[in-house]
Amino acid sequence: MSPSQLPTRSEYLKTWRGGGGKVCAVFPAQYPKELLWAHEVLPMEVWDPPQEPARATGHLQPYICSVVRQGLELLLAGGMDEVGAILFPHTCDSLQNLASLVADYLEPPAPSLFFYNPKAPFAAAAQSFYVARLQALDEELSLIFGPAPEGALEEALEWSRRLAGLYARAYARRAAGELKAGAAEFYAVLRGGEYLHPRDYVPLLEAWLERASATEQGRGAALLMSGVLPGPPDLLETLDDLGLRVMHDDLISMSRRLLYPPPEAGDPYEALARSFLAMPPCSTRGSSLAERLAWLKKLARESGAQGVVFSVVKFCEPELFDLPELRRGLKQAGLPSLVLEVDVNQEVGGQAATRLEAFGEMLS
Amino acid sequence: MSLSAKARMQFMKDLGFPAMLALAKKTRGKRRPRQANPDFGPPLKCAGRLKEIMTRHYYLSRFAPGARPVAWVTSGAPVELLRAFDFYTMYPENHGALCGAQKMGPELCEAAEQEGYSPDLCSYARVDLGHFFSGKTPAGKLPKPDLLFCSNNICQTVVYWYKVLAHRLNIPLVLFDTPFNYGEINDTDIAYMKEQLLEMIPVLEKVSGKAFDLERLLKLAELSKSASQLWGQCLETMRARPAPMTIFDAFIHLAPVVSLRGLPVARDYYEILLAELTQRVAQGIGAITNEKKRLMWDNIAVWYKVRDFSELFAARGMNFVAATYTNAWAETIQHLDMSHPWESLAKTYSLVILNNNLEHRLKLMEKMVGEYAVDGLVVHSARSCKPYSLGQYDLKRLLSQRLGIPAVVIEADITDYRFFSEEQALTRLEAFFEALEAA
Ligand code: SF4
Ligand code: SF4
Repeated sequence: MSPSQLPTRSEYLKTWRGGGGKVCAVFPAQYPKELLWAHEVLPMEVWDPPQEPARATGHLQPYICSVVRQGLELLLAGGMDEVGAILFPHTCDSLQNLASLVADYLEPPAPSLFFYNPKAPFAAAAQSFYVARLQALDEELSLIFGPAPEGALEEALEWSRRLAGLYARAYARRAAGELKAGAAEFYAVLRGGEYLHPRDYVPLLEAWLERASATEQGRGAALLMSGVLPGPPDLLETLDDLGLRVMHDDLISMSRRLLYPPPEAGDPYEALARSFLAMPPCSTRGSSLAERLAWLKKLARESGAQGVVFSVVKFCEPELFDLPELRRGLKQAGLPSLVLEVDVNQEVGGQAATRLEAFGEMLS
Repeated sequence: MSLSAKARMQFMKDLGFPAMLALAKKTRGKRRPRQANPDFGPPLKCAGRLKEIMTRHYYLSRFAPGARPVAWVTSGAPVELLRAFDFYTMYPENHGALCGAQKMGPELCEAAEQEGYSPDLCSYARVDLGHFFSGKTPAGKLPKPDLLFCSNNICQTVVYWYKVLAHRLNIPLVLFDTPFNYGEINDTDIAYMKEQLLEMIPVLEKVSGKAFDLERLLKLAELSKSASQLWGQCLETMRARPAPMTIFDAFIHLAPVVSLRGLPVARDYYEILLAELTQRVAQGIGAITNEKKRLMWDNIAVWYKVRDFSELFAARGMNFVAATYTNAWAETIQHLDMSHPWESLAKTYSLVILNNNLEHRLKLMEKMVGEYAVDGLVVHSARSCKPYSLGQYDLKRLLSQRLGIPAVVIEADITDYRFFSEEQALTRLEAFFEALEAA
């Protein structure tokens, strides 16, 4: 299976709805997807919809990031008209206010749900607070979509573990040079999880892993990618064209949330809370710079990356604040880094390609 | 803490600073007074006292290291708890405003940008980091902190910013995480915040070397409450017509309630300010001489333009009588209840304007428009401040529609005037003036 063999978002949503399935649009970043699955609701994540910015401009200042802008554009363009709810995790100031703007003033097509994530360094009270928040969200989902069937949450957690296991296998094979897939294909396939139900996605992912497994001889420089999203798409294509290999990533939408499944034992809410608190350090969760730096160095060491490419969304405060100290620390550890500030779906163009090429040459 | 540092600080407090002040007064006495602007009423007599208090605060801070534990604190953090451990507290946001007013914003921001900080980040943070890297400040010298105390009740930005300081200085960062109120505050949130406050105690004890004393906290909280209530009453005097002060004055006079909340000096100051304002109301003395229109301001001040704006509006007989910003330090203080200190601290601090949904803000603004008899609204879209600014276009539209008052948005920044187009702002304001005068 190549990425083109994955059902597209619109095809899949059509089929899902055709079968009477319910959908919840979800804004970035971390949220308990298992709760939605338990209610037989499909989370449709909204990271970078390819909308022409038009209507959102009347509501947002030019200094608001393109993730927020594009998400609002999708909503205003009717792209969420068929969903049963819209979920806003508390990720940053911009998403926080967007949630309120949408819920209070923009007459959204579906009820808004909010999910506050506790921020690091997590107080001892964070675990019980998170559990209480999960329970509250569960109740709200029950009111909108009906109660989750007996045992559905446990089953959802099981899907989550299987999925995280497959993601982890994909990452490990890539780092070991045992995956015949460039960055564009790798991320196109793994991003399927942003809209496919695990029942459908797990077999597809397994098949792809099977097919794409082949020993790849290392070519160009080995990179670690950090930032918000893998992309924009032409950035990934540029990396592939230049023969640069992404060995691992520290992306908010990817490894900072996907590789860490809820533990098997105990109460499912407690397990979800534990997995949230154990996720890798992330700017949006307030993790300290020391933790983030140690984590980046560990990822680079373990994956054999020689340098780090930060692909940061313009105006993204959480990421932009962390950058200088991370880069300084990486440099001290002998890991050069490159920063590309991008808008989602933007063509990164020739200048970025030249910078990447020079960066790759410097590392080789 | 060392005995000699303590003695030095005490000396400066009792003798050094008063002597310096006396000398400064003598020199000032010789200067020719500035020509009075006929658009304004007599200046507030309290202004001198305010300057004295703030100068003293910054001056003595230089002698704090070694004598007192020093904390850098965000403007919305529950500082009463720090005061119970005798911390000398500095407010980088207040320092940012000071740098902004002295037009040092771009210079300090550039110093941070040279270290890799994006020009798109909040300029209070860039000014502070720029000061940190370059040592430049109009305040002489700021003391290095032993601890950072931060609450995300105003924004998440302060967390990112303080994390940088914590990393560079290798000192503890204490976070008070206040869940955003999308709707009503609930018991889960209050319990979570209470637990956090209790968890902070051992950390503060360790850094300060002082044992926690609940009685002392209650006393300090009482002082804090009085200062905030008095500040609220000062603002309420602006309901009078003509209003005895302008919001541009209030931007300056709020410094003690931000920086010295919980200390007797802040309460005492607002007692004298309130007395003066009350007297002005009784005598019909307005902040401007010909108050024809009354306006409300939304968002933080444009610090480098306070004077220019105040003259521009006063010349047209327009006075700012209310602001969501100045109101923020009075708005929630009624929740502070000494019989439930922890829960009430949690409520007081998590119910502030920026930790609430936009509907809350809209309702508050509607109420203020009524109570202060506001004729028009000026919305400062502050590039630095996403939590204050995202949503303002809709707030402006709705307020204007619902209340039938003219409103204008000006795009600016709080301290970094490289992002301010005077021409564009004036064009918008001219159209606003016309609409207001026609109303
Ligand atoms: S890109 Fe950054 S600022 Fe934008 S929504 Fe994501 S975390 Fe928030
Ligand atoms: S200006 Fe806004 S973003 Fe900056 S510190 Fe203040 S509240 Fe936070």
